[in-house]
Amino acid sequence: MSPRLLLASPLSPVSGNIVTNGVLVAVVALVHIQIAAFLTGSSTLALVSEAVSMARGDERHGRVAHMLVKGQVYIFGFGSAVAIFFLTFVLVGLWGVFWTALQQIAFWVLVFEAVMFVTEIVLLYSLYANWERLQGHRRARLGMMLLLNVSLWWQMFLIDVVASFMLTPNGGDVSILNQILNPTNLPLTIHRTIGNVAWAGAVVAFVGGFNYLRLTRRQREPSPDAPQSMQPLRSIGAMAAGHLEWEARRTEILHWEWVAHWGVIWAVAMTLLQPWVGYSYAKEIQLHAYGAWYTMMFGDLSNVFLVQIFLLGSIFTLGSLYFWRRMVRSGAAHARRQLLLAVGLILMTLLAVQPAWFAPTYAAAIASAGNRAWWDGGLLNPVGDFIPFKAAALIGMVLLGLWSVTSYLAAVSRGHVKPGGSGRGAQRAALVIGVAVSMMMLVMGVIREHSRQPYLVNGEITLHQQITNHAPSPTSLQQSQP
Amino acid sequence: MIVSRWLTRPLKTRLRSGMEWFDDRTGATELLHKGLYEAVPRKGGWAYALGSATLALILLQLFSGIFLLLDYVPSVNDAFNSLDYLRSSDAFGAWVRGLHLWGSYTLIFVIGLHMVRTFLSASYKRPRELNWMTGALLFFLVLGLAITGAMLPWDEAAYWTTTVVTNIPHYIPVIGDGIRTLWRGGDFVGPITLTRTFAIHVWVLPFLMFSLIGAHLYLLRRHGEFGAWVNYDTAPGEEGERQIAERIRHAEPPYPTKRISRRYAAPSETVPFFPDQIFKDMALSTVLIAVIFVMGLISGAPLDEAANPATLSYVPTPEWFFLPLDQFLVVAPTNPLIAIGVFGVLGFGAALMVLLPFIDRSPERRPLRRPEVIVPALFMAFTVIFFAVLGINRLYNL
Amino acid sequence: MKQLTRREMLIRGTGLGMGLVGVMLSVPAVGFLLSPLFLKQKLSWVTVGPIDHVPVNQPTPMIVQVPVGTGYSTPPVQRVVYVVKTPDGQTRALSNICTHMQCDVHWDPALGNFLCPCHGGLYDIEGRNVGGPPPQPLPQWMHRFRTDDQGRTILEIENKLDESI
Repeated sequence: MSPRLLLASPLSPVSGNIVTNGVLVAVVALVHIQIAAFLTGSSTLALVSEAVSMARGDERHGRVAHMLVKGQVYIFGFGSAVAIFFLTFVLVGLWGVFWTALQQIAFWVLVFEAVMFVTEIVLLYSLYANWERLQGHRRARLGMMLLLNVSLWWQMFLIDVVASFMLTPNGGDVSILNQILNPTNLPLTIHRTIGNVAWAGAVVAFVGGFNYLRLTRRQREPSPDAPQSMQPLRSIGAMAAGHLEWEARRTEILHWEWVAHWGVIWAVAMTLLQPWVGYSYAKEIQLHAYGAWYTMMFGDLSNVFLVQIFLLGSIFTLGSLYFWRRMVRSGAAHARRQLLLAVGLILMTLLAVQPAWFAPTYAAAIASAGNRAWWDGGLLNPVGDFIPFKAAALIGMVLLGLWSVTSYLAAVSRGHVKPGGSGRGAQRAALVIGVAVSMMMLVMGVIREHSRQPYLVNGEITLHQQITNHAPSPTSLQQSQP
Repeated sequence: MIVSRWLTRPLKTRLRSGMEWFDDRTGATELLHKGLYEAVPRKGGWAYALGSATLALILLQLFSGIFLLLDYVPSVNDAFNSLDYLRSSDAFGAWVRGLHLWGSYTLIFVIGLHMVRTFLSASYKRPRELNWMTGALLFFLVLGLAITGAMLPWDEAAYWTTTVVTNIPHYIPVIGDGIRTLWRGGDFVGPITLTRTFAIHVWVLPFLMFSLIGAHLYLLRRHGEFGAWVNYDTAPGEEGERQIAERIRHAEPPYPTKRISRRYAAPSETVPFFPDQIFKDMALSTVLIAVIFVMGLISGAPLDEAANPATLSYVPTPEWFFLPLDQFLVVAPTNPLIAIGVFGVLGFGAALMVLLPFIDRSPERRPLRRPEVIVPALFMAFTVIFFAVLGINRLYNL
Repeated sequence: MKQLTRREMLIRGTGLGMGLVGVMLSVPAVGFLLSPLFLKQKLSWVTVGPIDHVPVNQPTPMIVQVPVGTGYSTPPVQRVVYVVKTPDGQTRALSNICTHMQCDVHWDPALGNFLCPCHGGLYDIEGRNVGGPPPQPLPQWMHRFRTDDQGRTILEIENKLDESI
């Protein structure tokens, strides 16, 4: 094809079904986000663990750091393939007009994104290949991990610029400064920074819990302190070998138990900040992309949002249950408090997830239920109407969760939570926390991408890849959705 | 007769005997010695200098504030004009106003650092609970002085600050409307609002503040300076600490109170306050005041247009130190939860802060060993910083 | 009955004196402090001007000099009246005082809402609070219309809102 022909051919959408193309982009993007978020968050956790390991000579932390770096390499191998597939096939192929426009708008942002991607590759593989060799130069290794962090977090920040620009394009102002400082970029960046670390913590908790359960699977009585529960041994030699094997196994169990504890703390403590951040993020969306906010909070997606709140409450509840099991098994003081907190958290979650009786819009919700008390199936209640009620529940959720984490950490710092014998129940809770955080990311991705519809870039490019400059006014939106 | 005898003596003798007479009648030397020869911890002297810097900056505010009173008129008709006159016709007056503004900025920053230092080193523990509580109240008083001071110029910024701040109490259940009316002297911001705010800024809060400063300093001298946890190489309550206390008790001059025998925490190595510590105090205060001196001259204090209650374009922006609180108002949900959201959550936070010594009563001093206060404090610190960032972001995009 | 000693009598007398002084000083002081609660705002009508030129569905700000009504006498302050005509023929005289923190809201044509610059409160064209922290709709000024000798509709307002905020 000659250059003339290329110029002559008008850029137009590839023929195809918007629904199937949309599903494809959704699936690929969601997988991509899970991987990318893990890479970013785990690089930070690895850095923290390595630093603690160096400062205190703590072997467990060193092992976790190595595990995370190895895990990053394995996942990055697959993840970069997904990213390239996402870019070349899905975005360029199926959403060419939109992507070309966005590429032109955010040209320099995406160029730096690519530079950071290359930096990440170099640093990550160098670290992986030379981990043992650098054992004698741990400061250098730590420095490399720090640089890896910088490159990964820059990647996240830059793609946040593009992602938040799609939601709040500042009335189409494409100057580079206004792209970077667009109304939702900073809230989104902070939301993701915290979320990524929480997600890495959840993965660590999952891995720790999984390995603990795997190693204690055969035994009915999971007590590492009791080697007698092994099957009877025939000879002295076999007994010695069995004992050695048991010792190794016991060390492993203790290690994975600690890994799960380390992950759960990060997952729950970081998630505690998210309601604040997410709420503020939603406020910015309300101010600058009213239509999208309306869809999320009052419109079609409000019921999906309830799933999100349910998962949020579940993470806090499971966290306090995990803490409870650990503290009860160690005979720590105030263990009962964790159970009470878990009950309180369940109540708060139930308060926060009351549906708007599946009414599709706020207006419909008010019409159907806004004028009746809640015991009559309405929304009015003694504390206030729908939204303040939920805000109070969220505040309560965060305060109880904070209390729960603090109480557990206090017990840990006093040595009241003893290693060993945490029991399988706690580890199952750690496992479910991992799954719940992953689910939250999925649901959030779905909500964010759907809230903009019918736009790809809010108010600027439609789902049919047509460029427009007509943002819906809230008034027209309320009138058009009876 | 006596006078003539005194006059015939040599000058040096005359001076000395005059001093002796004055000292005998007043006890000045003894007072000076009591004030200067206090034993203070040897380590961490630069960190304690934050406390004396706070005091120095408060005195600077008093000094520059008195000078501003030479010109300022607390009336809605003339407040703006009097400051506009300073700006346009009186360069030194504008400089003094700059000193007052930059002094307040620096003061808030330094008193914040002072609190963080005290928190991290756990200096609020027994027997210094009341030191912390008076200090926390002083912190709130400084914030109150800052916000009432921001209302006085009666330019656009001051007018809208007044409107918002005096409207906040209105959300307190039952008595809120009454408080707003009392402060404003009517339902809306009017002439009485300015004079009442002026009286609060110039008399009420400073009076409370200087009373509390007296109590704070008295308690400081009663229990001695705490020192950082690095000063304690033994766990509290152990034999080693008692030995340290013994050693300090017999040291000259006696450090710090007679209660030391009761296992109260005291640092292991001390130096005299004069001249070791006072040099550091002076150095830090000098640097800070030099910064204020320069910033007051080159940046000065801004003055917007005169207050206009009918503006359609003015964007009110809070002072930087109130940005997190302003952002809190943005995220606080609608009625009736503004009351719970703002007063409940903030009041709870403030109460936790004031009552900190009674929440964290363990003898533990290392930060990592006190998660029950460090974790909530980190949460609060994150919230404050996060809200400040969001506030900047919001104002940029408005 | 127990005999009062001289010492006890002196102590009680001192206490009584302190109490009396306290009462004497606090009655006027507290009364003075609380006096704004019992003050009546001085109300008066002012003319905003002819409103015939105001287009339908386009809130139009009109600036008017309003007496403050409390405190010592000052020159009248400026206030904004947003005249809103809706297609059903109704005319509103909205104040631009936000019900959240009483900042001045303005009509933002891009948003299609009244926007409060202080904390991002949003009101729709009829003054209903549709977003952000405001707890209640924008109030209207107490107002009335009259027709002048040239046949124009003149809007007059009183320095009072129709709902307390």
